[in-house]
Amino acid sequence: MKKTQLLIATALMVTVSHTALSQAALAQDRVTWWYEQATPDQQKLIQDHIVGPFNSANPDEALTVDYRGSELDKQLRVAMLSGNGPDVVYTAGPSYVAPMAQSGQLMPLDDYAAKYGWQERILPVFLKMGEYKGKLYALPKTYETVGLFYNKTLFEKNGWQAPKTLDELEKTADAMMQAGITPFAAGNADWRGANEWFVTLALNAVAGPDNLNKALRGDMPWTAEPFVKSIDRLNGWWQKGYFGKNYFSLTSSEQTADMLASGRAGMMPSGTWQFQNVATYSKKAGSEAGFVGFPSASGDPVFPLGVGSTFSIAAKAKNADGAAAVINYVFSPEVYGTMNSAWQGEWNIPLKDISNVKMASEVTPLFTETMKNLSAAVNQGNYGYTTWTFLPPATDSYLINGIEEVWLKKISTQDFLTKLDASFQKEAKAGKAPAVPAR
Amino acid sequence: MHRLYVLPTLLINVVIIAIPALLTVMLAFFEWDGISDPIFVGLDNFRALWGDSVFWRALGNNVIWTIIFLIVPIAMGLLAATMMLVARRSANFFQVIYFLPVIIATAITGRVWQGMIYSPVTGITGLVQRLGIDLANPLTETSSALYGIAVVDLWHWWGFLCVIFFAALRQVRAEQIEAARVEGATFLQTIRYVLLPGIMPTITLMMIMTVIWSFLVFDFVYILTQGGPAYSSEVLSTFAYRSAFYDLAVGKAAAISVVISLFGLAATVLYIRVQAKEFDQ
Repeated sequence: MKKTQLLIATALMVTVSHTALSQAALAQDRVTWWYEQATPDQQKLIQDHIVGPFNSANPDEALTVDYRGSELDKQLRVAMLSGNGPDVVYTAGPSYVAPMAQSGQLMPLDDYAAKYGWQERILPVFLKMGEYKGKLYALPKTYETVGLFYNKTLFEKNGWQAPKTLDELEKTADAMMQAGITPFAAGNADWRGANEWFVTLALNAVAGPDNLNKALRGDMPWTAEPFVKSIDRLNGWWQKGYFGKNYFSLTSSEQTADMLASGRAGMMPSGTWQFQNVATYSKKAGSEAGFVGFPSASGDPVFPLGVGSTFSIAAKAKNADGAAAVINYVFSPEVYGTMNSAWQGEWNIPLKDISNVKMASEVTPLFTETMKNLSAAVNQGNYGYTTWTFLPPATDSYLINGIEEVWLKKISTQDFLTKLDASFQKEAKAGKAPAVPAR
Repeated sequence: MHRLYVLPTLLINVVIIAIPALLTVMLAFFEWDGISDPIFVGLDNFRALWGDSVFWRALGNNVIWTIIFLIVPIAMGLLAATMMLVARRSANFFQVIYFLPVIIATAITGRVWQGMIYSPVTGITGLVQRLGIDLANPLTETSSALYGIAVVDLWHWWGFLCVIFFAALRQVRAEQIEAARVEGATFLQTIRYVLLPGIMPTITLMMIMTVIWSFLVFDFVYILTQGGPAYSSEVLSTFAYRSAFYDLAVGKAAAISVVISLFGLAATVLYIRVQAKEFDQ
């Protein structure tokens, strides 16, 4: 008998506390945000540095982050179509924003920008990139650039200098080939998209940002002479063997970083997302790494600008105000400092003023220095263009696959650029091309 | 009243298969990015495929794949099954060994082959390279990528056929085999005149299913090469996948899917006709 009473009492208590809890939850407005792939450690970072502090600072809101893995983009597209998506819409880049904005799935953010003063706090170039037909639809989460990592220890031992011009780059690479060292640590086994890092570098270094700007705005065809020269030069590097013979077998992140750090390769054309791997493997191999802007024809380094992911608010958001508060919270010096220290390169939030940011002490000075250089270059309007940020989706996809055909001698540079141009013109006409800020 | 019994399965079939299939066929005549409103374009998607070299390469690769899988795993399966029939005592042990790769998840099998066998850094290929023998990773050469993937799929697949054939062989009546032996038939003659005709319906079914499955192949190709390098291992399904999810050309992807289905449909029609013939006999 006593047992039964105890059971009933427990059941009652559970019900009461459950009701109290759900009522408390009801008093709060849920804000939903679907995130891409993140390891358990990374999920903890988001929980500790964004979700937790946001929820304590905004007792009326309850932010929940749902990890959707690498299929986020596809899930998002289906969910948005049926009107059941999250409040905070997190896309893989500006090229995904244009089609969504075009079909009215996103909410213009101009009112929130005025309310929270985003114009004063965020680098203007990025606000421009989030526009569609004159209205703001997206804010970029992180910005990045591609340049040249090199093994400083190896360079010093051989008396090589970090190259400034393309001719110097080729001279150094030839010397490496003779010494039996692979010039470029590069691979695409885990990420076919790595192909476009090298195309981006060649386009920016040879044709230059001004020509790219014209082409992206449709004022110059992709078949023009400067682009032919870019692809020919890149192809020349491939044919000479700069990329090594295991390009298609190596992973773009860890195995290439290992190759560079161990001195089996001398240089690594890659992006700011590689800093963490470079630091890890350099420590392991006992070597020191350097990073410079990619050499160009003129000798001035070019920093091609890329945007990792973007934030928007769904047109059918159940809690649009909450979503705006979340986005606003992410664009704070605190989040920049904590997240960018712990998860380098992925949370390089485009704030105008990062003088108040506190970075953790273990962050390499090379990374902080590079990000400062990039921020200055962007501020002065002296930046290049990454293909994954500024090309529409099908054109970008063709660029990634088509360049392999050029490298493996299946098609000529002209054929490649003709097809690329046809795809670009078709997508640009359909309004699928991302916004390109004026130079 | 008894007709109501078909209702649950019919409903599931209509909702999960018939409606999406119909929508896919319809979408093949539209241009759609998966987001905005579809635009009717008639036969444009099919016309674009006709002039697309990647489509023809993918189709060609599917045909090569079908031929490989019609011959190699079926021959291997039949051989191993008949041998198990002879060595009855160890049959169970071998069945387990042969079947093991079938139950390992495709993604794991793919990664194991990629990392432990083909990789020049962490795999056997690398080991051989370090011994001074110039052996390339087959997945990275345009001439061998498709075959490199086929080897992995064969390793994973033939055990299934072997077990199916073994099960069928055991159904062949013992008196027939006994009679052949009494008549003085050799082992090969027994296979040729007794066992093979005895399990012909199973072989036919497996061959027809092979044609259908070969046109649906996706997983190993996508995991190991994603159709590369330079489209050399592209098959129709990876081509459709990339069109839909990377190029945002859902209409084109639907058109490719319709082509894939046509091959499956042809194989199905063939199967039904073969079956009907057997019933007539």
